[in-house]
Amino acid sequence: MAKEGDMSLFNDVLEPFRRVINTDPPKDKLSSATKLNFSDSNQSMKEGLNNLLSLGKRKSSVCMNDVCTPEKRVRSESSTTPASAPPSPWEAKRLKIDLIAAKAQITKLESRINHQHTIRKEMQILFEEEKGSLVEQHKRDERALSDMEDRLQLIRRREQELKDEYNQALKEHKDQKANWDREKADLHKQIADMKDKLLECSVSSKDQLSEMKKDMDELLQALEGAQSEVEILKGEVAKQTTRAEQCTTLRTQLEKQTFELQSVTNKLKELEYERDSYKDWQQQAKTAQKRLSNMAELEKEVNRLRSQERSLRDAVCNKLLLEEQVHQLQSRVDVLQPVQNELHEAKVKLATLESALEEWKSAARTHGVESARALSAALDAALNSQLDATAASSQAQSQLAQLTEEVATVKFERDKATGKLNDLQVVRKNQESLIHRLQKRLLLVTRERDSYRQQLDCYEKELSVSLCGEAGAGGAALLAARVDQLERALQAYRDLLALSDQPAHTALVETLRAESSKWREEAENLKRDVAKLRAQRDTLHANLERIGAQSQTKVLHLTNNPAAEAQKQVQLDLEAAQEEIKRLKASLREGGGSLACPEEIQQLKQQLESSRIKLKRLKEEFTSSAQEYRDVCYMLLGYKIDRTGHKNYRISNMYAESSEEYLTFTLDDDGIEMVHTDYSATLGELVELHLHQHRSIPLFLSALTMELFTRTTMQQVQ
Amino acid sequence: MSQQQTKNCITLRGSAQIICEYLKFAINSVLFQRGLYPPQTFKAEQQYGITLLISEDAQIKSFLTNLLTQSEEWILNKKVSKLSLIIINVANKEVLECWDFNVQYEEGDAALSKEKNETVGSKDLKKIQHEIRDVMLQVAATISYLPFLDCRCSFDVLVHAKTDCDIPDKWAEAKPVEIANAQNVQLKTFSTSLHKMETVVSYKLVD
Repeated sequence: MAKEGDMSLFNDVLEPFRRVINTDPPKDKLSSATKLNFSDSNQSMKEGLNNLLSLGKRKSSVCMNDVCTPEKRVRSESSTTPASAPPSPWEAKRLKIDLIAAKAQITKLESRINHQHTIRKEMQILFEEEKGSLVEQHKRDERALSDMEDRLQLIRRREQELKDEYNQALKEHKDQKANWDREKADLHKQIADMKDKLLECSVSSKDQLSEMKKDMDELLQALEGAQSEVEILKGEVAKQTTRAEQCTTLRTQLEKQTFELQSVTNKLKELEYERDSYKDWQQQAKTAQKRLSNMAELEKEVNRLRSQERSLRDAVCNKLLLEEQVHQLQSRVDVLQPVQNELHEAKVKLATLESALEEWKSAARTHGVESARALSAALDAALNSQLDATAASSQAQSQLAQLTEEVATVKFERDKATGKLNDLQVVRKNQESLIHRLQKRLLLVTRERDSYRQQLDCYEKELSVSLCGEAGAGGAALLAARVDQLERALQAYRDLLALSDQPAHTALVETLRAESSKWREEAENLKRDVAKLRAQRDTLHANLERIGAQSQTKVLHLTNNPAAEAQKQVQLDLEAAQEEIKRLKASLREGGGSLACPEEIQQLKQQLESSRIKLKRLKEEFTSSAQEYRDVCYMLLGYKIDRTGHKNYRISNMYAESSEEYLTFTLDDDGIEMVHTDYSATLGELVELHLHQHRSIPLFLSALTMELFTRTTMQQVQ
Repeated sequence: MSQQQTKNCITLRGSAQIICEYLKFAINSVLFQRGLYPPQTFKAEQQYGITLLISEDAQIKSFLTNLLTQSEEWILNKKVSKLSLIIINVANKEVLECWDFNVQYEEGDAALSKEKNETVGSKDLKKIQHEIRDVMLQVAATISYLPFLDCRCSFDVLVHAKTDCDIPDKWAEAKPVEIANAQNVQLKTFSTSLHKMETVVSYKLVD
């Protein structure tokens, strides 16, 4: 407990130092303080230790176990102490107790040292922190200082720049001032020049002004002259106008005179006209007198002409009759003409037929046949014979065909036989060659056989010689002879070989080569064929596969597919259409002799006929009534009125002397007007009186009638 | 890795469905392009990244659904080798044009099949659709050289199935068709890695 109190005390002591660490950390004081504390703590610790020891030994063992380093020291101490002197048990006990106490103290001290160490470290850390903060502050101050310096420099630089600018501005200002002075001087000069020029201009303008005034005076004088001239001319103009007035009065007088002249001439013309009319009257009177004198003759003539007219009317009647007859005859002629034509044609035909018959007859006569029956019989016979002949010919032809067939078969057989023959010949040739070869072989074999025999003989001889005696020289000679013989035999062999085999061999080789080349060609051809056939086979395989696939598969479809439905529809339409056609055809056939339509047609025809008849009757009626009306008009009013065209009417009077004497009228919007004709020209008086004065056409016409009537009656009376 | 595998896995049924979908669009496209039915009966539809025309006619629709459901079943069981769309002149039953859709069966992805314990393919669906789009564009382009059909025409689809295949209701056996003087044009092929589809158009060469 005391220890804890010490520690808190220590801390209390330490605290002010920690607080005032910034000022100056006094190391000596601290160390003294620690020492001071240390001593105190040591004393108090000893007391505590004693207390602790009093508690028991058991704990010391625990302490012993806990602290390791002191144990070692203890051991060293224990090792040293027993070496000096062997202690007594009490001493030993005491020593042990001391030792334990010392040890405890040591441990406590050590712990305290440790604690001190930690405090020191803490202090150090605190100081270091302080130092670090101070250093940082120092750095910050330095940085601030440098910043300030930089700013100072910047400000100085700016100052310098501003000074420069100021100097420059001053310089510019001076320059500009000099310039302006110069410009001012120039401008002054210019002003002086301008003033001089102004003076000159004013002088010159004054001169011009005086000249202008002179001109103006001249012009005023000219104007006055011209005004006087104008006045003179005005006087002349007044004179001229007075003259013109005189002229106009003269002209009016002239016009009056011409008007009078015209009126006089008009009067003169009227007078002349009157004179002419008077002359006409005179002439008319003369002619009337003449006519009156000729009246009797004229009456006679009239009578004669009337009789003539009657006769002519009869003649006209007769002519009509004759015309009718002529018409009838012509129709008859028309009917008869085709008959006549037919007659002519028939005659021509008859002639041709007769000539043909004659020819036939002559032909028959030449064949000895007189009658027609005999001719037919002969013809039958001829036909029969022809039939027989044709039958025979057909038979013959069939036979011919048979024969040709036979010939063909025979030919075929012959060809076969010749082929066989050729084959046989080839075989024979082969056989012959074989035989030839065999013969050669045989020859070879016989020769071989001969040579062998020779050899055999030779051996026998040799054998006999060797058996006979062994003479060296003779042996040698014999050997030589034998060698000779053998060489000869060899030669003979070679000759034989050369003779027999070489040509045959070469020939054989040649033939073989040819054959081989032939075979090769054939092989190539065959290869090509094979390739072709393979391609064909492949295509066929493909086809076959397809067919096979088709055969493997079966084709299915829905029964009510659109195609089938469409076909059904078409079929139905077709049937319907055919039905309709049938129906229509049937109705058409029935319609041929039917009930409804023909009746109607009949009715319509009847109607048509009746309406035609009606029309005809109406026409007749109309014409007759029109004629009647015209006749009545003619009889009552004495005028025959004919319509000559659209709105044109021609009227001729009953008492007119000739058909030339007619008048024409046209109908227009206002009424009816007379048109000028030759005849109307002769009726000038009537026209003037009735048409121009009274303006009445009926009056004019009746006056005309009256006049004509009086004229005719006057003539009759005379 | 495992995610990608599941992504690109095409089962046999899926492949058959792709094939049948292609057939549906191809047949409709041909019907439109060849003018067998009036154009106003067709409706535009977006498929394979292009606009294709599908018939709205109820009869054609029912026919195609019947045909394709049965065909899908057969393709699944490897019974079909070929489907032929034939265009017939109604008046004289002459076959004018034949569109052959040859179906070939492929192995697919062997490793993945073993892993999944069924036959599967591992081709990317986008790639397949891209291939189908190419074929469709070719089909649309054929109109430039195919002869003009100037008569009343109709169509039928013949399924070339194996002989051991049963004939279901509403189905009947038909005669295989032949075009005299035919000209064949092979279009592009596409494959789902389980089925390979080869499209061939043969038409009567008019001289």
